[in-house]
Amino acid sequence: MAPRPPLLTMSGITKSFPGVRALDGVDLEVQAGEVHCLLGQNGAGKSTLIKVLAGAHQPDSGEITWRGAPVTLGSPVAAMRLGIATIYQELDLIEGLSVAENVFLGHEPTAAGFVVRASAARTATAELLKRLGHAEIDPTRLVGELSAAQQQIVSMARALSHEVRLIVMDEPSAALDPEEVDNLFRIVGDLTSDGVAVVYISHRLEEIRRIGDRVTVLKEGRSVAGGLPAESTPTHEVVALMTGRNVEYVFPERPAAGFAAERAPVLKVEGLSRRGEFAPVDLELRPGEIVGLAGLVGSGRSEILETIYGARKPDRGRVLVDGTPLRPGSVRAAVGAGIGLAPEERKAQALLMLESVSSNVSISTLSRFARAGWLDRRTERAATHEAVRELSLRPDNPDAAIRTLSGGNQQKAVLARWLLRGCKVLLLDEPTRGVDIGARAELYAVIRRLADEGLAVLLVSSEVPEVLGLADRVLVLREGSVVHTADARELDEHRVLDLVMEGSPTS
Amino acid sequence: MPETPASTSRRALLFGTAAVSAGALLTACTSNEPKEQAQAADNAAPVADDKPGKQVTIGFAGPQADHGWLNAINSNAKSRAKKYSDVTLEITEGSNDTAQQIGQVQTLINKKVDVLVILPADGKALTQVGLQAMRAGIPVVNLDRVFASPQAYRCWIGGDNYGMGLNAGHYIGEQLKGKKNAKVVELAGLDNLELTQQRTKGFDDALKNYPNIRKVARQAADFTVESGQAKMAQLLQAQSSFDALWNHDDDQGVGALRAIDQAGRDDFLMVGGAGAKSAMDAIKSGTSVLKATVLYPPTMAASAIDLARALGQAKGIGGLAEFEIPSSLTLYSAVVTKDNVDQYLPTGFI
Amino acid sequence: MTQPTTAAQKDAPTSAAKSVGEKPGSGPRWGGDVRTLSLLGVLAVLVAVGGITAPDEFLATSNLQLVLTQASVIGVVTVGMTFVITSGGIDLSVGAIVALASVWATTVATQEFGFAGILFTALIVGVGCGLVNGLLIAYGRMVPFIATLAMLASARGLALQITDGSTQIVSVESVLDLGARDSYILGVPPLVLIFAAVTLVGWLVLNRTTFGRRTVAVGGNAEAARLAGIDVRRQRLYLYLLSGLCCGIAAFMLIVLAGSGQNTNGNLYELDAIAAAIIGGTLLSGGRGTIIGSVLGVLVFTTITNIFALNNLETAVQQIAKGAIIVAAVLVQRRSPHGGT
Repeated sequence: MAPRPPLLTMSGITKSFPGVRALDGVDLEVQAGEVHCLLGQNGAGKSTLIKVLAGAHQPDSGEITWRGAPVTLGSPVAAMRLGIATIYQELDLIEGLSVAENVFLGHEPTAAGFVVRASAARTATAELLKRLGHAEIDPTRLVGELSAAQQQIVSMARALSHEVRLIVMDEPSAALDPEEVDNLFRIVGDLTSDGVAVVYISHRLEEIRRIGDRVTVLKEGRSVAGGLPAESTPTHEVVALMTGRNVEYVFPERPAAGFAAERAPVLKVEGLSRRGEFAPVDLELRPGEIVGLAGLVGSGRSEILETIYGARKPDRGRVLVDGTPLRPGSVRAAVGAGIGLAPEERKAQALLMLESVSSNVSISTLSRFARAGWLDRRTERAATHEAVRELSLRPDNPDAAIRTLSGGNQQKAVLARWLLRGCKVLLLDEPTRGVDIGARAELYAVIRRLADEGLAVLLVSSEVPEVLGLADRVLVLREGSVVHTADARELDEHRVLDLVMEGSPTS
Repeated sequence: MPETPASTSRRALLFGTAAVSAGALLTACTSNEPKEQAQAADNAAPVADDKPGKQVTIGFAGPQADHGWLNAINSNAKSRAKKYSDVTLEITEGSNDTAQQIGQVQTLINKKVDVLVILPADGKALTQVGLQAMRAGIPVVNLDRVFASPQAYRCWIGGDNYGMGLNAGHYIGEQLKGKKNAKVVELAGLDNLELTQQRTKGFDDALKNYPNIRKVARQAADFTVESGQAKMAQLLQAQSSFDALWNHDDDQGVGALRAIDQAGRDDFLMVGGAGAKSAMDAIKSGTSVLKATVLYPPTMAASAIDLARALGQAKGIGGLAEFEIPSSLTLYSAVVTKDNVDQYLPTGFI
Repeated sequence: MTQPTTAAQKDAPTSAAKSVGEKPGSGPRWGGDVRTLSLLGVLAVLVAVGGITAPDEFLATSNLQLVLTQASVIGVVTVGMTFVITSGGIDLSVGAIVALASVWATTVATQEFGFAGILFTALIVGVGCGLVNGLLIAYGRMVPFIATLAMLASARGLALQITDGSTQIVSVESVLDLGARDSYILGVPPLVLIFAAVTLVGWLVLNRTTFGRRTVAVGGNAEAARLAGIDVRRQRLYLYLLSGLCCGIAAFMLIVLAGSGQNTNGNLYELDAIAAAIIGGTLLSGGRGTIIGSVLGVLVFTTITNIFALNNLETAVQQIAKGAIIVAAVLVQRRSPHGGT
């Protein structure tokens, strides 16, 4: 395929958002009729890159050549006109419209320019669905009534309803069963034999081996390798390319291995499970210990944390604090027993963005500062001030508005909330998300210090080095099941990535 | 949410009644009941009286009785029908919803009642169903809120909003006769209703006869006690002295009187409208600023039953030379004062 | 989609926002500062307009008494509404609850129990309706808009059924006397005193109690409040109870003011109360509420009505002015750094 001019060439693409360089010189070359896989860790820039390709983001610099001619992808419509279609991971279908209406949304077949020819759309949709091997989907059904896999098919039909030369698929197999994955691959095969190019994003190396032609690896906004043969490049080489980072993480010192083994566990999780989210999990947390959960997005990490916390109700199993079982599905029971959670989406799940630092810190401890419901604001402020100072939160002013703080300091405010409450178990879900590299070390130190003071910490992070560097013990999750448990010092990043990425969905 | 305020429901939209064409009416009558007509001619004008006659089933459809006046309409109709042994009254659940009322009238048509009395929630909107009834051979007595087409009813009977204003103005004019630079204020009803405009117009027209009187202020309330109190309180604040007050409605008048009481004012006379019992009681006591009220009588419903019965029995009404019942009856807005209040008290509604 | 890096960039611009008028020590709860001042400014302009156009009538003590009295009934309702909106909810049933409570408290049977009977019934009916709203919303998981809309319809219907459309005149002298000039305390009408008391208590509860703090938390971020261990549902229940209680108080005040109970009472109070709260600076989406702003909002509306009436202008013009002020106030809110819409 080499002598032909490539279908798409992107070179030197950069894209900055305020404070962050999301793409820092990316090259990508796609041939017609090939499956080109895009690999990279979370945050490597894959999403930004496909948004540039879809016309949703405008690059700051760099060149895009389409079928030999330079182009500007000024808008999603412009990209679509050229024949570039994107199927996002989070499906962008409208549940209240029918399948046919979704497929032809925005380019409905019309008569006299404005009268929608619904029957024409239905026929064309049925045709497309048949081509995709899903003739059983009725074009008149509401999308909201379909299964996730069927919705994916509709999304694909929508992409194919355009004159398409390149389809971008962002983790299309994430929501699919094995048979459905087989069907997906068949469709991909059909498309490429028609000369359509596919840019395929997946975390599953095995899939990439099966259908990929070439691989481009992204790391921290740069393409570190382009056009590797998908079948023959060894896994460890790919993983090395993905992880070989140039940022030094500074982790606080750990106590000796097994230091906590003698202590009675403060938190015990027994056979906890939720259908469709995670298989029965057992774990024990001892005072002073940091236990990490490593796994990919969608591996059930956050769900496990939220179920322990009572924010989700388990199907089976139970959670015990100091030997006493908690009422399942009750946040108040968990909080009352001494569990605290720093959730994944800090702004959406933890912070009152219109409020002061003090209000945010004291929210779980209000009754302590109140007599018969009346708040003693002076003691409240003094207490929050102390908590804030203890975590060296900046600015050291409890009256500051929380939204003016940086991500790291907002996270400290959440930690201060639980510090103030004096909880025994702290659940941390992506504690450094949105925290810039420099501030992370400080946060790591704070977390370790809290553990040293006797807190038991359960840590979830999609950044493997973070889990390995901070935790004492690590549980590796794949698709809702714990596949490996080990002392953090016995694992390395490659090994963990191998564990979380290898294997088919059923294994 | 805009629950058709009690107000709308109760007052009639009165226009075009004068334009009723006698010709159209005659055709309607003759085509409906040719036989009876012929008979009537032979018998030299039989007149409806209290003696039992042919059995008549009267269908009655009105709006929701969410207001004292409408409540009085219902009870007037019911008690009048009870009086006659030859009348069966089929009364529907009142509704302010046009579609629902149309359905109710259609049900009555299907039941083949002999005569229909309809007080529409909205005259224009109910016109079609009135036409349907007439075409089905059921004469319609249109009560108060007039249909858009004279073909939709056999006879209309209702109150006189312009006359209310006119009579109120004349009463005030006579009371203030000889007083130099007399000032009056007006507390109107819901301003977006035509009947409010008519009451104001009648009042203004009457005042033109009295050059010594000037209207110095007008505020619109919305027929509720609460709004009457609020608007009157403002009027009293704005006008430190005036001689007379014309209040369109006795219900909002309850609130207005409360405001007057709270302000400790008694230096003027007040004329109300509609004829509520509380207003008549106040007039009778003689201690209130309320000296008179201008009627918009709910007894019209009783009269409508009379008319319906006469129509059903193919009779005319007494005291007129004609055989037939008139096509339109506009009631007089009598002025109730201390002198004649006893006579009207039984008709006062609560 | 949300990769750590993209999340990080969202945080970065916060340093820029820092510059906007965030004095340390200025409690965030005083709420509007800017907005409250601007509303005071509007009120000052209105007073000037009133003083110029109707100098003798507008500036009289009796007019001040009048304006405050007229503001007091809707004002009490607005205090309750402010709590509900601050929590991210809405109560469309306030007007209907006022109507129901006022007619229930003025039936012949109730009036036999005199002053206490009327007051007690009004409060109980208000709280009862609030309880139903609260249970439906908090435990029946109904959307506040729908639940209170249903309450609006049924409470109005019940009020109509009780009265049969007639006006129920109050004959209990002690109740009527409360609205008379003789019972003014140092020139302040008792209704205005009730209004002031409700405002003060409302301010204290919203700004100085755990209840108020939880209200703000639930409105600002219900999920965060839940994950912080707050019983969000119980809080919601209490809030609608509180709104119902305010309606009960307002119903009693209306009975005193109008000397009667009528099923048309409280017509469109829900819109007036929501409008006053919003122009006062309470966020319709929840998370920020100001009692002082709401009361100023009520006073602005009442003063406009007063000025228009004193100058004998039509209702239509008043309504236009009211609409214009709502739009202007919301535009100012958008501009303000706190807006965060």
